[in-house]
Amino acid sequence: MEVSQSQASTNATQNPNPNNNYPSNSNSILSSTPVWPTIDGPLGLSEEESLSYVRRFYKFGYALLPFLWAVNCFYFWPVLRHSRSFPRLRPYVVASAIGFSVFSVLLCSWVLTFALGGEQLFGPTWDQLVMYNVADRLGLTGWS
Amino acid sequence: MAQTQRPKTLLDSLGEEIIRILTPVSICMFLVVLLVSILNSSSSLSVTSIATIAYSETSSDSSWDKFLGALLNSLAFVAVVTVATFILVLFFYLRCTKFLKIYMGFSSFVVLGFMGGEIALFFIEKFSVPIDCITFLVLLFNFAVVGVLAVFMSKMAIIVTQGYLVLIGMLVAYWFTLLPEWTTWVLLVALALYDLAAVLLPVGPLRLLVELAMSRDEDIPALVYEARPVTHHDSASGPVQRRIWRGRQNVTLDSEDNLSSNINVNVVSDLSSTANIVQANHSGTRMARVEEGQVSERDAELSAPLIDRRMDGQDGVLAESLMLEGMGLGSSGAIKLGLGDFIFYSVLVGRAAMYDFMTVYACYLAIVAGLGITLMLLALYQKALPALPVSIALGVLFYFLTRFLLEVSLYNVL
Repeated sequence: MEVSQSQASTNATQNPNPNNNYPSNSNSILSSTPVWPTIDGPLGLSEEESLSYVRRFYKFGYALLPFLWAVNCFYFWPVLRHSRSFPRLRPYVVASAIGFSVFSVLLCSWVLTFALGGEQLFGPTWDQLVMYNVADRLGLTGWS
Repeated sequence: MAQTQRPKTLLDSLGEEIIRILTPVSICMFLVVLLVSILNSSSSLSVTSIATIAYSETSSDSSWDKFLGALLNSLAFVAVVTVATFILVLFFYLRCTKFLKIYMGFSSFVVLGFMGGEIALFFIEKFSVPIDCITFLVLLFNFAVVGVLAVFMSKMAIIVTQGYLVLIGMLVAYWFTLLPEWTTWVLLVALALYDLAAVLLPVGPLRLLVELAMSRDEDIPALVYEARPVTHHDSASGPVQRRIWRGRQNVTLDSEDNLSSNINVNVVSDLSSTANIVQANHSGTRMARVEEGQVSERDAELSAPLIDRRMDGQDGVLAESLMLEGMGLGSSGAIKLGLGDFIFYSVLVGRAAMYDFMTVYACYLAIVAGLGITLMLLALYQKALPALPVSIALGVLFYFLTRFLLEVSLYNVL
C-alpha cells in the first residue's frame, strides 16, 4: 500500500496532466493525494487553471471581502487538507484561511461587544448605530 | 480490483437527473413559503411596480373590477416582457454579449444587495436583532459581491453557484408575492400563455432566440441553474461537458425611463429603477435565461422553452443519456433550468401560502407533477417546449380547487 501511495503522489505532483480526464493512477489506487485541487473534483479546475483563480480570489478578498476568502478555502479544500500537494496553490489558500479567521475573530468580537454591551457600554451612540433605528431613520423599509 | 459494475438503468440515470433539478426547485419554494409565513404580517405593503401600473387593487372594489384591473395589469406586464425579449434578441443578434453579461451582473448585484438587504431589514425589525449598521453593511456587501462572482465567474464551487441562484430566485419570487392577489394570479396565467406563444409560434421571440443561438452554436450566458452532471462509473471518457439546455428565458426589460414616474420615491425604489432588468444572455444553447429584473418594475420574465440540446448542434433530447448509454459513452451532461421557472413556481406556492398550508401542499404537488409532465413531453417531442404552462395550469387549478373545496367541506363539517 505504501508503495502505491507514494507512486500515486509522485505521479500526481509530477504529472498533473490536466488533459486526461482520468489520470491512470486515480482509478485503480485508493490514493491519498488528490489529483484535482478543487472540491468539485473532475468537474472543477485543473491545477494550472486554478492558480490564477486562487490568486484572484486572494487579492480580491482584501477589498473587505472575507467571505471571498472563506469561499476560496472551501473551493480549494483538497489543497488545505493534503499538506504536501499543489505547492504552488497552497500559500494562497493558507493565507486566505488565515485572513478569514482573523477577520471573523475581529468581526465576532465586535458584534458580541455591540450586542451585549448595549447602551451601558456605548451610551447614546448605541441607538444611533443599531440597525433598526438606522433603517427607520432612512426610511429603508418603507418601500412600496 | 476487477469488478463488474451493474450498468445503470435508465431509471437510475434519468431519475437522478430529475432529482437533481427537483431539489433546488423544492428548496426555493420552501424558502419562499417560509419567508411569506414569517413576514406575512406586513401584508399592508402595496408594491408599485410595473405589474400594477394599470390598476391598483383595493379591497373595496367589486370582484369584476378587480378582475378587470388584474387583467389590465397582466397585459401591460406581458407587453413589457415581450418588448424586452425582442430587445434581447436584437442585442444577441448584434453580438453584444459582453454588454448583456455586465448588465446581468449588475442586476444580480442589485437583487442580492438591495432586495436581500430589504428582506434582512424586515427580519431585523421583526425580531429586533441588535446588529449595528457597519456590520450589517459589511455582511451585505460580502454576500452580494460573492453572489455576483459566483453567478458570473464560470468556475466557482458548483454548490456556491447553485445556492446563490436559488437565493436570487427566492428573493425575486418573494417580491412578486407582494403584488395584490388578483393581479398575481392573472399574471401567472398570462405569463404561462405568453410562454406558450413565445416558444411555439414561429414568430415568438424566444423561438427566434433559440434558433439564433443554435445557428451560431453559442452558449447563452444566462442566469440558469445547472444541475451537477450525473457521472456514470462505466464511462470510458471523462465527464463530457454537454450543453443540454432547458431553456427558460426570462427577460427583464430595461425600462427605467418609462417606469421612473410610476415608482414611489424611496431609497430602494430609486435604486431599483436605475437597475435594469437583467437579461440573461443566451449563448448558444437555449437555456433558461433568467433575467432578474429589478423586482418591482422590471421583472419581465419570460419563460423560455425547454430544450435539450447536444453539443454537436443537433437538437438533442433529454434522454440523450439513453442513446449514449447504449453506445457506452459518457453520460448526461448537466440539466439546466432557467431561473424564471424557479421564480414563478415559487410565486405560485408563496401565494398559496398566504391562504393556508393545505393549498401549499396541493400546489407543490401540482407543480412537481407539471414539471415531470413537461420533461416527458420534452423527451417525446424533442424540441423546444415551454416549461411554465403545464405546471402553472395545474398549480392554479389545484389552488382554486383546494381553496373552495376546503371551504365547502369545512362548512359541511362544522
